[in-house]
Amino acid sequence: MGIHRRDFLKGVGLSSAVLSMPGMLGAFEGKLKGSQKFVKSICEMCSTRCPIEARVDENNRVFIQGNIYSKATEGGICARGGSGVSQLVDPKRLVKPLMRVGQRGEGKFKEVSWDEAYEYISVKLKEIKEKHGAKSVAFASKTGPDQTFMNQFAYGFGTPNIFDHGNTCPSGYATALTSVYGSGSLSRDFADCKFMLNFGHNVYEGMVISYARGVTKALEKGCRLISLDPRFSVLSSKADEWIPIRPGSDAAFMMAFIHTLIFEELYDKKFVQKYTVGFEKLKESIKDYTPERMAKECDVSAEKIISLTRECASYAPHCMIDFGHRATFTPEEIEFRRAIAIANALLGNIETKGGLYFPKGAALYNKIAGQKVAPIIKGSILPKVPEPNEPRIDGVDIKGGEFSKIPKTRGIYSKVYETILNEKPYAIHGLWITRSNPVMTVSNSDEVVKALKKLDLFVCVDVYMSDSAQYADIILPESTYLERDEHFLSDDGKNPGYQVRQKVVEPIGDTRASWRIYKELAQKMGFGDLFPYKDIEDFRMQQAYEYPEEIYELKSKGLTSYGIPLLARDKESIAKFVEKYPNSKQFLDEDGEFSEILKCKTKSGKIELFDEVLEQACGRGALKYNDPKLKGDSQFYFIQGKVAVHTNGHTANVPWLNDLMDNNAVWINQNVANKLGLKKGDSIKIKSEVGEQIAQVLPTVGIREDTLFAYFGFGHTSKWQEISYGKGMNASHLLKNIISPVSGNNVHTIGVDIEKI
Amino acid sequence: MMKYAMVFNSQKCIGCQSCSIACRSENKVPEGLYRLQVKIQGPKGVFPNLAFDYERFSCQMCENTPCVSVCPTHASFMDENGIVDIDANKCVGCLYCISACPYHARFLNPQTKVPDKCNFCKDTHLKLHGEPACVSVCPTDALVFGDLDNMNDPIYEILSKKNFTRKKEHLGTKPKLFTIPNKKGEIKL
Ligand code: SF4
Ligand code: SF4
Ligand code: SF4
Repeated sequence: MGIHRRDFLKGVGLSSAVLSMPGMLGAFEGKLKGSQKFVKSICEMCSTRCPIEARVDENNRVFIQGNIYSKATEGGICARGGSGVSQLVDPKRLVKPLMRVGQRGEGKFKEVSWDEAYEYISVKLKEIKEKHGAKSVAFASKTGPDQTFMNQFAYGFGTPNIFDHGNTCPSGYATALTSVYGSGSLSRDFADCKFMLNFGHNVYEGMVISYARGVTKALEKGCRLISLDPRFSVLSSKADEWIPIRPGSDAAFMMAFIHTLIFEELYDKKFVQKYTVGFEKLKESIKDYTPERMAKECDVSAEKIISLTRECASYAPHCMIDFGHRATFTPEEIEFRRAIAIANALLGNIETKGGLYFPKGAALYNKIAGQKVAPIIKGSILPKVPEPNEPRIDGVDIKGGEFSKIPKTRGIYSKVYETILNEKPYAIHGLWITRSNPVMTVSNSDEVVKALKKLDLFVCVDVYMSDSAQYADIILPESTYLERDEHFLSDDGKNPGYQVRQKVVEPIGDTRASWRIYKELAQKMGFGDLFPYKDIEDFRMQQAYEYPEEIYELKSKGLTSYGIPLLARDKESIAKFVEKYPNSKQFLDEDGEFSEILKCKTKSGKIELFDEVLEQACGRGALKYNDPKLKGDSQFYFIQGKVAVHTNGHTANVPWLNDLMDNNAVWINQNVANKLGLKKGDSIKIKSEVGEQIAQVLPTVGIREDTLFAYFGFGHTSKWQEISYGKGMNASHLLKNIISPVSGNNVHTIGVDIEKI
Repeated sequence: MMKYAMVFNSQKCIGCQSCSIACRSENKVPEGLYRLQVKIQGPKGVFPNLAFDYERFSCQMCENTPCVSVCPTHASFMDENGIVDIDANKCVGCLYCISACPYHARFLNPQTKVPDKCNFCKDTHLKLHGEPACVSVCPTDALVFGDLDNMNDPIYEILSKKNFTRKKEHLGTKPKLFTIPNKKGEIKL
């Protein structure tokens, strides 16, 4: 059993107060005020937004589980979600606004009132605006409901430079889907899939409960799952076959896959003819990518590629090539993810069981049903502020430009840090971040730190003194998700739905929710009229005042869902839908399909196998394989992935999760380790072009010989988070800040040399 | 009167630790100690044909209970539903049960000073919500809880259809925690 670290600390009398700094919660002795019945809400331990329910009991215990009403999660939750209370009462949590008093990064802060904090920020923001223009302040957030308010504030202030975390995570696949389908948010019908190709989308470790459940259900029903991943992941362990593909070369596999589909005529001709454009151009662009040629690139034999293609096609349309999530493997993400998007279309698996489908919002669903099935609850009630008439720093606002497939609410986040340093196209003087920790998550961390130090104003909204917050001028402590109410959100799947986050306990300390922070600061700065609501309840009422009953249901169940599931090309689903909503017959086409739903927001209105916009913008209309050359001959590929018990840079300091894992040993192939004389736990120095890190090694048979792997989210530099401080390594110090073509994603693979120390 | 039992399906388990956290949360398990842990072991095999093993470590709810038989005060007991439990009032702190358990399922709770272990959430989630916390949160439904004496219980069907193993069966402890072995991790003799 041994003595646990924390007991030991208690034993020697080091209470957390001693190691603390102003603004931190410290040992929480108070009483949590909340409901003893389960309150339905939404998790925020990662950005997935799984439906949860939580209760507080008389012993101050908070218990969190999945919302039983959710068909997608059926009460399931992950370890991070279950640990919400550990974050809520974490002694290291910030519960008071803090103002920097020492040098930037020195870690000297004093507690201030909200009003003092607002005053300081508003004076500074106005000063910067006067001197350099509002555009020289950038605002960034992790995706989430708080963005609604932050973006409104930013536009109200007058800057066009708003960002989410997209380019360090999903922008690769989202841009590719937008290129092909005109929308970045297609859903995957995992549960009904019969054959699945997966390229390192580790749904069992990068946990999204509905995905994990879906894949598990499919496997139970006999789905064939092929995992192409340089390391043996938990998903690989459940797959029928693990293929250790060469890192960063997945696009090569996909080119050969498409080549085989087309030249062996395995594709769905009818679907291609009816719903797509650009097939001939695709055929032309892919003709030289034979399996034989591509096999050398991706290290999977031509026979294997061909047999997998044939097998996959034999299950069409109930098969899927998963487009992944954290699409940051190579600078050629756009070609790789677009190849996946296109291959799915060639298989004709759109709007079919086990394939991909478009989420169906209330408006579209009601239209097709020919009657009002679902209430139309407004997404936001905020008055529309016109986009500030200034060019953005990242060019995503250039119409028809290379980056025009990236939404303006997303942008190219890592560009901010580059711009602060090189002042091109113009200087950035102020930065506002919320739920973001760029020192951990943006490539080339050392440069990020340099950039943060250069700012005139750096405001950070966070629950922790994070690696990035430690450089801030002002830190605003946000209420955690368990302590705040939010507006209604749509939650569409095969049928429309809504969900809502509701507070489980009263806020601890002096924290505030986003809807309040931005409103109050805007009032202070003279544009409070852009936030016309009294509180969040008022906001909600304005969203849905027409639907009192639905509001009641939504609040008591936490989520609602209307109508019946609809897949626009699945016979069974269509029959049920038409039976239920007879008016919908008018929308059936000659094949008995709802082709209306497959109308894309692309230029042609169809699924585009060749992208004219990108062709014009940067000559990337066709699929093209470019070897990304991610390492030198004698080097290793350094790759990373998610672990089920942590969320990226966010949770290393949550006590329960830290207790499960507080370090990330680097996986190295057993044979290589033997050659180098490395044993488990030995330290190595890992060096790339831009930086170095020290790490412990974990020799294993579960990885390619030319590859090293680490879970990310470790190697924290904020000493105010002492249980995670300095433990493990952070690959962001090794990565170059590359902005990839078209998708603008950061690249998380790099060549490294290692040395035993 | 029930005969409560649990199935741990290691084919479905992904080692995500949700169960372990839910257990900690619901049963006030002190930090650093566990009523339940799931370990991912491996990979083993010959590259690239590898497998992980997913193993649950918790009280096995033995029918022949070494922990109960060594307890001098009957503080350790099996209740009418087959749950092996500890009566804190009767415990004298001799810790015999901790050493007697062949599964290392028990630990001394530093807060209560009484041996602690999984009791199927008897006083907590089971009592309040009808099933143990770990079962209710498992994202992949790798855990199934039920009554062995009830032929209509889903657990009955699972155990009659699937192969299962029990840990250290040779000791004759007759655990009521059943494991469905991982197809890929199965050691074929
Ligand atoms: S919650 Fe379920 S899947 Fe996760 S470790 Fe526990 S038993 Fe395994
Ligand atoms: S596993 Fe150990 S504690 Fe549980 S019943 Fe068996 S002997 Fe007792
Ligand atoms: S049944 Fe309850 S006490 Fe036992 S492991 Fe599961 S959660 Fe913990």
